[in-house]
Amino acid sequence: MAYASEPHSRPRGHWATTILAVVVALLGLPLLGLGAWLIVLGGSWYYGLAGLGLIIVAVLLAQRSMAAIWLYLLVWLGTLGWAYWEVGTDWWAQVPRVVAPTVLFVIILLFTPLLGRRTREGAL
Amino acid sequence: MIRTTPLHSKLAAALIVTSALTAPALAQDTQPAPAATEAPASPATTDTAPDATAAPDAPAAAEATPDAPAAPAAAEAEAPAAAPDAAATGATAATSPEDGATDAGATDQAATGEAGTAATEGAEAAPAAETPGATTQVAAESDERAPQPQPEVGQDWPFWGGDANAQRYSPLDQITPENVGNLERAWTFHTGDLPEGAAIGKYSPENTPVKVGDALLMCSAMNILISIDAATGEENWRYDPKVSPDAIPYGATCRGVSVYTAPELPEDAPCKTRVIEGTVDARLIAADTRTGELCQDFGDSGQIDLWDGIGEKVPGWYAVTAPPAIVRGIAVTGAQVKDGQAEDAPSGVIRGYDAVTGKLAWAWDLGAPEAMKNGPPEGETYTRGTPNMWTTATADEELGLVYLPLGNSSVDYWASNRSEAENDWSTSLVAIDVLTGEPKWSFQTVHKDVWDYDLGSQVTLIDYPNGDGGTVPAVILPSKQGDIYILNRETGEALTPVGEVDVPTTGELEPDTLSKTQPVSEWHTLRKDPLQEKDMWGFTPIDQLWCRIQFRLSSYDGFYTPPTADKFWIQYPGYNGGNDWGSIAYDADAGLIIANYNDIPNHNRLIPREEADELGIKPIYEQGNQGANAEGAGDAQAGSPYAINVNAGWRNDVTGVPCTAPPYGGIRAIDIKTGETVWDRPLGTARRNGPFGIPSHLPFTIGLPNNGGSVVTKGGLIFIGAATDNLFRAIDVKTGETVWSDVLDQGGQANPITYEVNGEQFVLIGPGGHHFMETPIGDEVIAYKLPKG
Repeated sequence: MAYASEPHSRPRGHWATTILAVVVALLGLPLLGLGAWLIVLGGSWYYGLAGLGLIIVAVLLAQRSMAAIWLYLLVWLGTLGWAYWEVGTDWWAQVPRVVAPTVLFVIILLFTPLLGRRTREGAL
Repeated sequence: MIRTTPLHSKLAAALIVTSALTAPALAQDTQPAPAATEAPASPATTDTAPDATAAPDAPAAAEATPDAPAAPAAAEAEAPAAAPDAAATGATAATSPEDGATDAGATDQAATGEAGTAATEGAEAAPAAETPGATTQVAAESDERAPQPQPEVGQDWPFWGGDANAQRYSPLDQITPENVGNLERAWTFHTGDLPEGAAIGKYSPENTPVKVGDALLMCSAMNILISIDAATGEENWRYDPKVSPDAIPYGATCRGVSVYTAPELPEDAPCKTRVIEGTVDARLIAADTRTGELCQDFGDSGQIDLWDGIGEKVPGWYAVTAPPAIVRGIAVTGAQVKDGQAEDAPSGVIRGYDAVTGKLAWAWDLGAPEAMKNGPPEGETYTRGTPNMWTTATADEELGLVYLPLGNSSVDYWASNRSEAENDWSTSLVAIDVLTGEPKWSFQTVHKDVWDYDLGSQVTLIDYPNGDGGTVPAVILPSKQGDIYILNRETGEALTPVGEVDVPTTGELEPDTLSKTQPVSEWHTLRKDPLQEKDMWGFTPIDQLWCRIQFRLSSYDGFYTPPTADKFWIQYPGYNGGNDWGSIAYDADAGLIIANYNDIPNHNRLIPREEADELGIKPIYEQGNQGANAEGAGDAQAGSPYAINVNAGWRNDVTGVPCTAPPYGGIRAIDIKTGETVWDRPLGTARRNGPFGIPSHLPFTIGLPNNGGSVVTKGGLIFIGAATDNLFRAIDVKTGETVWSDVLDQGGQANPITYEVNGEQFVLIGPGGHHFMETPIGDEVIAYKLPKG
C-alpha cells in the first residue's frame, strides 16, 4: 500500500533497471562473442544474433525505453521459432533453448511498470 | 538461467555417471588390442585354431581383404553339427595329455597339426593321431569330459546369467504386471563389505548372487564369499580371502560366482558342490557350498594364483572381476588388465583349470598358442600386452565350447605397434574348444580397434528360428557400438546380415594401419544417428553454445572417427555405449531380446609423449596403483607415441554438464524373428536431478546412463535397476511401461535375479552403487516378494 502510493519510487526503478540492463548485457556479450566464433566455424547463426539482440535490449533498458520489452519479445519469439525448427517437440532438447530465455522474459516483463513510469516521466 | 544450471549439474552428474558406467566398463574391458585386421579375421580365426597356433604371425587372411565383408566372420568351416561331438571326443584325446603333463606336448602338436590342416576334421584326425596307446585313457577322459546335464533355472538361479545359456529368463510367473504393485521387501542382507581408507571411492560391487538349493551364493566387492538363506536372508557362512585394497583395479568389483558339482566325486565328499570365484588380486578360489571351507583338492589348498606366468606383480594391474565359465569340468577365466597403461602389460591369456583339482588344463595365449599351451617355460611369461577378457564368458556344455568376448590390446588408442596376432583376435568373440584349449572360430567386431570398444557383454545362447520352423544353435553377441549379431554356435557363421562398411577416414596419424572398413550388424543396432551440432546441449544457451563450438573444433566424421592429437576427436558411441557387462535378456516365449543400452559420446585426444611427460602421466608400474580413475582419463599408453585423454560422456569442460542431449540410455525389446524394435524407452527418471543439487523427485523420464542387466520372467515382467536414478523397476514386457518401482538407497548397478522358495517367487538385487556412476555405495542385498495371502 505504502509503495503503491509512494510518489517517489523512481529511484528504486532506476537502480533495479540498471542492474537488469547489466545482467542482460552480461548474458548478451558471451552469446555475441562466442556466437560470432561459432558463425566463423560454420555453425548456427542463432547465438550471435540473439546475443546482439540482448545487447541492444540492455542498452534500451539502460535508457528506460519500453522498446526493450518489445525487442526482447521479438528475440524470444525468434528463439521459440528457431528452437522448434531445430529440435521440434523434443522436450529435453528444448530445455537449453527455451527455459533460460523464458525465465529472462518473465523477469523483464516484471520491469514493465518501471519502464512505463520512466517513459511517462520522460514524456513529461 | 543460473537456476537451471543446477539441474544441469545433476544431469551432468547423471552423465558423469554414465561415463562412469562406461568407464568402468571400459576399464574392465578395455584393453585394447590391435584391431583385427579386417574382416577376414574371422576366417582366419576361425579355422584357425590351427593357423593361429602354428603361425601366430601369419594371420591368415588377415590382410587379405579389408574390404571383404568380414561379416561372416567365423569361419566355420564346416564343422557343422556332427562336429561338435566328434570334436569333443577327438579333442579329448588330445586333451588327455594334460594329465600326463609331459606327453602333452607331443599330443598337442599332433592335434594341432591336424586341426590346422582341416579344422573341421581336426577332431577326427586328432584321435587317430593319438591312438597309439592312449585308447583307454582317451575313453576314460571322454567319459570324464562328457557333457553333463546342467542345472535349470526356475526355483534356482544357478548361473550368473540365470540358466546355462545366460538368457536371464525365468519361467517363474507368480509375479505379474497385475500384482507387481503389491511387491514388498521380504528382507535385506548386508554383506558388511564397505570401503574404508584407501578403498574409498573405488567400490563398484556389481554383486549378482546365484541361488542353488536353499542358499544364495555371492561375493562382495572385495571378494568375501558369502552364503545366505534364500528365504530369510540369514547368513550361513562366509569366507574372507583378505584381498588387499591396493589390488583394486578400476574398481572393487566381483560380479559373481560359479557353482560346480563334480560328477566324479561321491555324494558326501567335501566340495562335491563347490563355489568358485576369481578375485581382484587374481586368485581363483574354490569353497564347499555347504560349509564355506576351502576345497583342499583344488590348487594350493583351495586357491590358484593367477599371477603365475603373468610376470612382475603390480597390484591393480591384473584382476579378475567376473565369474569363471565352467565347461566339461574345466573352469575358464580371463582377467581384467587395467587399461591404457603400457604396451608391456600383463598378458590377456585365457586359462582353463580342472574345476576339481585346479590343475591347469590349458592356456590360450593368442600371441604364442603352442609355446604357452601348458604355461610359460621357466623364466618366461605369457605374451605381454595381448587382448584380454575382463567380462564373463559363456559355457556351452553340449558343444564343449566356451565363448570369450575379448577386449582390445592393453594400449587401446594406438594400433601401429600391435602384432598380427593381436590384430587378428582383438575385440573378437572367440569360441575355444575346452577339451583342446584351441580356438574353433572367432568373430571380430572391430578391426584395429582404437576406440576401446572391448566386448563387454556376456553372450547369450539361444535356439535361433531358422525360418523353416526349425532352430539353429546360436549365440547373440551385443557390442558397445550397439550392434547385435547372431552367430552359429558351431561355426561362428553369421546368421543375420553383417555388413562391412567403409569408414569415413583413417585419419592422419595411422592412415596405413587403421582399417578402411568396419563390420556392422545389418540386422539390428542400438546405435543412433551420428551427432550434429544441434545435438549439443547444456542447461542454458551459453553452455550449449560452448559445446557447439567444441563440436565444430573437434574432429568428427561420424562412426569410427579416428583418433587425433592436434585437437579433440568425438567418439560416438563412446566406450560407454551400446550394451555392456549387464548383457541382454532373452525371452524365448515372447521371442524378444531385451537390451538396455547407453547412448553417450566421448571427447578424446591423444597426448604426444612429451606433453604427457610434462603432465606427469605415468603408467601404473611407475606411479603405483592410483585406481579408480575414469578409464582413459590420462592413461600413459607407455611404449606408444601417445598417452590418451578421454572425457567420458563428453561433459562440458567448464560446467560439467553433458554436451549432448538426453536420453543417455534406454531399454529396448527386439523381435528375434525380424530384428525389429518392438518398443524402445529411455531408462531412468530425473528424480535425482534438480536445481542446486536438490533431488527434484520428479517422475519425468529422461534416460540416464545405466549399468547392469535385466531379468525377464514368464510372468511378463522385466526387472532392472542399472539406471543412475537408483530405482529398481518392473517393466511390462509387452509395452515397455514401468509398472512398479522401488527407491534404492544405493545405485542399482548390478544384475537382478529371481528364484522361488517354498512356493514363493522372490526378486532380488544387490544395489552396491558404483563409484564412476556416482551413485551411493552400499552393501545391501534386497529380496522382494508378494505379501502372503
